[in-house]
Amino acid sequence: MSEKKSADKPISRREFIARSAAAAAAITIVPRHVLGGPGNTPPSDVLQIGLLGCGAQGQVLLNASLKIPNIRFRAVCDIWKEYNLKRVYRLLKKYKHNPTDYVDYRDMIAQEKDELDAVIIATPDFWHAEHAEGALEAGLNVYLEKEMSNTIEGAKRIMRAAKRSGKLVQIGHQRRSNPYYKHSYQNVIMEHKMLGRITTINGQWNRAVQPDLGWPKKYAIPAARLRKYGFNSMQQHRNWRWYKGLGGGPVVDLGSHQIDIYNWFLNTKPSAVMASGGNDYYDPATHEWFDGVLATFEYETEQGTVRAFYQTITTNSNQGYYETFMGDQGALVISESAGKAGIYREQKAPLWDEYVEKGILTAPVAPAQQNTTAVLDVRETVPPPKYAFPINFNDPYHKPHLENFFDSIRGKATLNCPVEDGYETAVTVLKVNEAVAAGRKLTYDPDEFHA
Amino acid sequence: MTHIRPVRLLLTGLLIALLSTTMMAQDELAPIPLELPEALFIGTPGNMDVKNLEKPLGKPRPPFLAPAGTVNLALGKSISSSDEEPVIGEIDLINDDDKEASDGSYVELGPFLQHVTIDLETQANIYAVVVWHYHKQARVYFDVVVQVADDPDFVKNVTTIFNNDIDNSAGFGVGVDKHYVETSEGKLIDAKGVQGRYVRFYSAGNTSDDLNHYIEAAVYGKPVK
Repeated sequence: MSEKKSADKPISRREFIARSAAAAAAITIVPRHVLGGPGNTPPSDVLQIGLLGCGAQGQVLLNASLKIPNIRFRAVCDIWKEYNLKRVYRLLKKYKHNPTDYVDYRDMIAQEKDELDAVIIATPDFWHAEHAEGALEAGLNVYLEKEMSNTIEGAKRIMRAAKRSGKLVQIGHQRRSNPYYKHSYQNVIMEHKMLGRITTINGQWNRAVQPDLGWPKKYAIPAARLRKYGFNSMQQHRNWRWYKGLGGGPVVDLGSHQIDIYNWFLNTKPSAVMASGGNDYYDPATHEWFDGVLATFEYETEQGTVRAFYQTITTNSNQGYYETFMGDQGALVISESAGKAGIYREQKAPLWDEYVEKGILTAPVAPAQQNTTAVLDVRETVPPPKYAFPINFNDPYHKPHLENFFDSIRGKATLNCPVEDGYETAVTVLKVNEAVAAGRKLTYDPDEFHA
Repeated sequence: MTHIRPVRLLLTGLLIALLSTTMMAQDELAPIPLELPEALFIGTPGNMDVKNLEKPLGKPRPPFLAPAGTVNLALGKSISSSDEEPVIGEIDLINDDDKEASDGSYVELGPFLQHVTIDLETQANIYAVVVWHYHKQARVYFDVVVQVADDPDFVKNVTTIFNNDIDNSAGFGVGVDKHYVETSEGKLIDAKGVQGRYVRFYSAGNTSDDLNHYIEAAVYGKPVK
């Protein structure tokens, strides 16, 4: 940006806000619309946002953002202008936003960088590094969908660009802002250590067999545009998550969210991983990544070794998705799907009545009677009662994470998943595919977790 | 006289037989010709804390019986919408018999209360209405109201055949029907033979977003002779 502005050149919104803030500091009488107050939203609180990537995930983030006050979408960008871009553009019009639509992200950033506060990036993983770099170098804050990148080198580029720019980068591990997860981390694990010594973690995301994503043939992207943006067909564009070089397969798409929780709740990173997986079910010509992966991580914590199993399969939906943290005093079952969340006290653990009295847990529900005659069978422990959390969360899953990002831009919060945490998770997860390919246990060098 | 009486008896018998046959034909019931699409769930269903939600049946819906000869009168008929420029898709996707959930098979109408109206182009006895809003994800649509009327302005002979608007936010009165989760079976509404020409569907967003989707709407009935 030029140091000198001609007198008649229109100033950008961001410049105006900066000047207003400077003027506010210099004089004592300031208009209400600058400072805000009852009935007045200061311009610095109204954030101008660009959406880069208008596919399914971009639409999820957009719809969640539309439920947050003082967010204005000024620009939208997607290479599928015949369908997804049109869809998001029209949607925003119905909400009285007035965005400009772009096919190429470079045009959007060049045209809008002085007016935007942030860009939400929800493009395929292999574009993340270039898109995030471009936005950060233009001085924009970035909300970046996970996985940070499909490669470690791509994730490093984002880390470095974030450092250079000094701008905020929130990685889209939205569970880190979810009230159930925050409550579990802050109260159950950190403050009251209800689980005792955590020894074992078990998690899964099981999905039923699904057909490939199709597309309305009359709205197909022309072949030349597909090639320009790295796709060799509409089939590949619509199902990029399955292709090497574009995405990371199910363990990255699904597992990344949950393995991120392993790292977060244990306050450390794994030391080793071994994994089994393969192209066992789908046509490998269109499903290059492993359709099922079973991985075991080893963590060395201050309390001792933790072994953490994770499974993702795409051929059966049994039990859906959840994570279980098991310690010698209790087990925490948690999921983005709220109904599963609960904590179970081991029989020999101290009573949790005080936590119920303090409102940290709700009163336990007695376990159902087991339909068995082996009541005296010493091989099985009596099932513990379930304590739940006094939380009622019915917002869209991504809304709290977006709110945290927007509030961080306003200086009213700190990021719940800054780029450093996202990078650690990317390193953790991307090595799972390596371990499957290697067919043996791989270790993590602690230096790997630093870009 | 002696010859007239047997003839009269014969004619009376024939008349009774004819009437009986007609009544039997009218009463003859058969499953409506309903073909279901492939089930398709993609992505992560959100939390649903919905009041007045009906429990899933847990098994396939039994066939719905209607007078023999009942067909989908909505197929390909004139259709209109409160949203003249949908977010994506075209209005005529609603009655094109494509019930698949994939992109290109549904229309996405704007936020909050919207409606679509199908003109059956004839007065008809309507026995069942089946509507698929969106079965790519487990969702509940709000303020689902279905009405039948004789005129396009819904002034004459208006009958509400379904209403799950629990707080009268749509303005048609508090509904007594339950919320339901979208599935590939669609929602079948027993119209009980109501007579009318126009069928209107209202909704006001869903548990995932504020928008209103339609994959297909079918109106099973027979034209009034």
